[in-house]
Amino acid sequence: MPLKCGLCDKQAILKRPKTGDALCKECFFLAFEEEVHQTITDANLFIKGETVAIGASGGKDSTVLAYVMKALNERYAYNLNLVLLSVDEGITGYRDDSLESVKRNEIQYCLPLKIVSYELYGWTMDAIVKQIGLKNNCTFCGVFRRQALDRGALMLKVDKIVTGHNADDIAETVIMNVLRGDIGRLRRCTAITTGTDGALPRCKPFKYTYEKEIVMYAYFKKLDYFSTECIYSPNAYRGFARAYIKDLEKIRPSAIIDIIHSGESLSVKKEVKMPVQGVCVRCGYISSNTVCKACVLLEGLNKGRPRLGIGKTHKERLKMAEDLNEKGDSSINSQNFFENGQLDSFSEQSSQSGLSCCRSTTAGCSCQTSEICNDTAGIHSSVDQQKINSLAIDF
Amino acid sequence: MCSVQEDDNDVPFSKVRPNESIGRTCMKCQEKAVLITRVNDAFCRSCFMVYITHKFRATIGKTKLVRDGEMVLIALSGGPSSSALLHLIQEGLSERTHKKLRFRPGLIFIDEGAAVNLPSSERLNNCEKMLDTMRSTGFPCCIKALEQGFDIDNIPELTSPSGTCCPGSQVEKDLGTIDHDTESISSDISTATSSVTLNMSECSISSSMEEPCSNSREAIAVSSLSRVESSFQKYEEAEEKLRCLLKSLNSVSAQEDLIRSIRHKILSEVATTCGYSKVMLGSCGTRLAVTLLTDMAIGRGGQAAVDTVFADKRYKNLMFLRPLREFSSKEIGMYNALNDVESFFIPTLTTKGSDGASIEHLTEAFVTGLQRDYPSTVSNIMRTGEKLSTGAEEESKEYCAMCQSSLDTNVVASSALNAVQFSQRISNRAADSDSIIDKSNKTGECCGEGDGGCNTTRTRVTKQQVLASLCYGCRLAIRKIDDVEKLPLYVLKDVFWRVRREKMKSEIEEFLLDTS
Ligand SMILES: [Zn+2]
Ligand SMILES: [Zn+2]
Ligand SMILES: [Zn+2]
Ligand SMILES: [Zn+2]
Ligand SMILES: [Zn+2]
Repeated sequence: MPLKCGLCDKQAILKRPKTGDALCKECFFLAFEEEVHQTITDANLFIKGETVAIGASGGKDSTVLAYVMKALNERYAYNLNLVLLSVDEGITGYRDDSLESVKRNEIQYCLPLKIVSYELYGWTMDAIVKQIGLKNNCTFCGVFRRQALDRGALMLKVDKIVTGHNADDIAETVIMNVLRGDIGRLRRCTAITTGTDGALPRCKPFKYTYEKEIVMYAYFKKLDYFSTECIYSPNAYRGFARAYIKDLEKIRPSAIIDIIHSGESLSVKKEVKMPVQGVCVRCGYISSNTVCKACVLLEGLNKGRPRLGIGKTHKERLKMAEDLNEKGDSSINSQNFFENGQLDSFSEQSSQSGLSCCRSTTAGCSCQTSEICNDTAGIHSSVDQQKINSLAIDF
Repeated sequence: MCSVQEDDNDVPFSKVRPNESIGRTCMKCQEKAVLITRVNDAFCRSCFMVYITHKFRATIGKTKLVRDGEMVLIALSGGPSSSALLHLIQEGLSERTHKKLRFRPGLIFIDEGAAVNLPSSERLNNCEKMLDTMRSTGFPCCIKALEQGFDIDNIPELTSPSGTCCPGSQVEKDLGTIDHDTESISSDISTATSSVTLNMSECSISSSMEEPCSNSREAIAVSSLSRVESSFQKYEEAEEKLRCLLKSLNSVSAQEDLIRSIRHKILSEVATTCGYSKVMLGSCGTRLAVTLLTDMAIGRGGQAAVDTVFADKRYKNLMFLRPLREFSSKEIGMYNALNDVESFFIPTLTTKGSDGASIEHLTEAFVTGLQRDYPSTVSNIMRTGEKLSTGAEEESKEYCAMCQSSLDTNVVASSALNAVQFSQRISNRAADSDSIIDKSNKTGECCGEGDGGCNTTRTRVTKQQVLASLCYGCRLAIRKIDDVEKLPLYVLKDVFWRVRREKMKSEIEEFLLDTS
C-alpha cells in the first residue's frame, strides 16, 4: 500500500531524511523552504534593502541556495538585492563546467553574476598544482577561494555574503575541530553569521538543512547543477570527520543536528586564551595572526617554497614573519597582490593599518591597532607552539 | 565544488609508525626496554612502574581534592581499567610505599546483566568472581544490580538538586562522627583500613536501597554467596521494569545512554547513603576520548567537559573522580600484564554487534582506528575537553531530572533545538499530539515532599512534563518511549516535584517581587 503524505493525504513520494516523515513533493518543498525562512528570521540574518551576494560555485548547495533565496525574497518581501558571486579557481575542466552552470543560473534566476578570479593573486589552481603536486593543494583552494569571494563582494559593494554551507558541513567542522583540539574554531564554527567584527558578514541560511534534503530538493525541482567533486585531494581531517558522520547518520539520522546542538552548547573555560582578531600586516585582510594564511601561501609560491604554510611547517612560517618584521617589509606593496589595481579598498586598508604597524614594532609600536602588535610580539618570542600551529584564517 | 573549507589544515596529526621496543634501551636507565609508551618513550619494567605510579599519584595529588582519611568509593566493572585502578590503589596504600595514599576505599560492582539479558547463572558467576576479587582486598565492598535503580525512590530536597535520599542523610551523619574519630586516632594506614571496613561492608547485595548500611557497623562479614543468589529473586520485578524500559527505547544507542545514567544514579545513591564523599571511576584517557566524542554525537556537547574532567562536581556533596584519565588503554594493558592483574570479560549491549551497533560503539571503533594511525588522536581530543568549561562555577542552574547535568534546553531562537522542533511541527500534523501522552495530569494526593511516606498514591506526569525536565541528550534517549511511566521512579518523582513547584509558584506569582 502506498504511503500517504502526512500533511495532505496525497501519495507520499519521499521520506524526509531529517525527520523520517513521509511527504508528497509539494509538501516537502514547502517544509524545506519554510525551514530556511524560519532559520533566516530566527537569526535576523537580513535587513530590508541590503545587497546580498550568494557565493555561487555551480554545485548543488549554492544552486539550491540561489533558488530558495530568490523564492523567499519574493514570498516574504525581504526586499533584498540579490547577486550571484562566483570564484574562478582556474582548474581545467572543473572551472569550465562549474562556471557554465553558474552562468545558466544567472539566466534562469534572473540574478546578476560577478566572477572573480584566483588570478588576482597571479596564480591559477593548475599552476599551483604544477608547483606543489597533487597533495595538499586543497589548502590553496579553500584559503584563496574565501579571500577571493570577500574581495569580489567588496568590489560589488554588497552588505553580506550567503554561502551554501549545510548542516552536514557544520557538523563535520565541529567534529574536525574536536579531533584536532582547536578550541577557537570549535567555538566559532557553529555561528550562523561570522565576520561581524568589521569584515564582511557571512551567513549560512542552510545551517540546519540536511545535505540529503538539498539533493532531494534539487532533484525534484530539476535544478541544474554541476556535481563533479573537486579533482584535487581533500583534506584528511575533514575526510575522517565526514566518514564518521555518514556512519552516525545511518544509526541515528538526527545525529547531524544533535552535533550542531552540541557545538552550540559548548562553553569555553574563562582562562583559555582565544586568538585575538587582527588584520594581516601584508594585505589588511582579517586574521588572528600577523600574516594571514593566504599571504603565507602566496609568499611560498612566489619564493618557490610552496610548502610554506601547509601543515607543520611553522618554523618556516615563523622565519618568514621575522624576516617580514626585520625588513619593515618595504618590498611589500599591494601591487604584488592585486595586479589589476582594482582592489582599492584593500590597498588603502593595508597601507593604513597593516604596514604602519609592521614598521613600528621594532621601535616600540605607537599605532592604535594593538592587536597586531600583540600578535607580532607573540611571533617574535613565541613559545606558544599552539598559536603558531593555528596560523590560519578564521572560519 | 571543492570540499575544502578555508580553515582546513592539511597535515592533521603526525602519522607515526609504531616503534618496536625490541633492541631498545630504557630512556631513564639504559636497561633493556620492555615497552614503548606514548610516542617514543622506551621503558624497562621498573622504570615503567615508577612512571605509572608517579603519574597516578600526581593526578590525584595535584588537585588536593582527596583528603587524608576520606572515604572513597571505587567503582569496578571487572574490565582492565578499573582492575588496574584497584591494583594501583592497593599498591598505594601498602606499607612499603614511599608516598602512601591516605584515603579509605570501599568497592562497588554494578551487575548490568539484566540489561543484556544474561542468564542468571552467568550473572551469578560474574558476581561471584567480582566478590572474590573485592574480598581479597580486605576493603568493604558491595554489589548492586542495575535494576535496583528502579527502587531508588527519592524526592529532591528543596535546597539540594542532587537529590540525596532521605534515610541517607541520617546515615551520613552517623558516619560523619566515625570519620572524625578515625582521624583523631591515627593516620596509620592499618587502623584506617580496619575502621573503613566497619563503615560499609554490608551495604551489599541483599540490602535494599531503602535501608542502606543500616547494619553497617555490625559486621565486617561479606555476604555469602547464597545471599547473592537470593538477591536475584528479590529484584525480579525491578528487572522486568528495566527490560521493559530498555525495550521501549527502541535504539541501542539510547539504551546505552540510559544505562549510563542509571549506573551513575546508583553510584551516587550508594555513596551518599554510605557516607562516601568521592567516587572513583576507572575510565582511562582512551575511554574518555571516546566518551567526549560520543557526547558530541548524541547532543551532550554541553556535558562533554563534565563527563571527562578529573573531578566531576555535578552532584552536590559528592564528587566523581577519574584518576586514570592521563593513561592510555595501552598503558593500562601493559600495567596489568606486568603485574598479573586479572580482569574479566563482561558482555555489554554491543559486544557481539558490528561497528554500527550503537553510536558509542561506532565512536570507539572510529577513535581507536584513528589512534592506531595517528597516535596523537586521543590526546588531541582530550585537549579539546580540557579547554571546555564544566559549568561548575555557575550555581543555581537548572538541572536534568535524569542525568543531573545542567539543562541545555534554554536556548535562543536561532538554535538547533528550535530548528528540530520546527521541522517536526512543519512536516507532521500529528507532531503536537505526539508529545503528549493522553493521560490526564492527575496529580494525586501525595504531597510529593517530606519523607516520601505517602508514595502509595501514584503520581502521574505527562510525557511533555517529563521532556520539559530533561536535557537535550536525555530527551533524545527517551524519544521513542511509549509510556513515560516506564521510567525509574526517581525520575518521575523529580518531574512531579517540579510540576508541583511550578504550580505553587503560579499561585503566588502576583505576590513575588522581581528581584533581578
Ligand atoms: Zn502533501
Ligand atoms: Zn580542492
Ligand atoms: Zn594577508
Ligand atoms: Zn629503566
Ligand atoms: Zn539529562
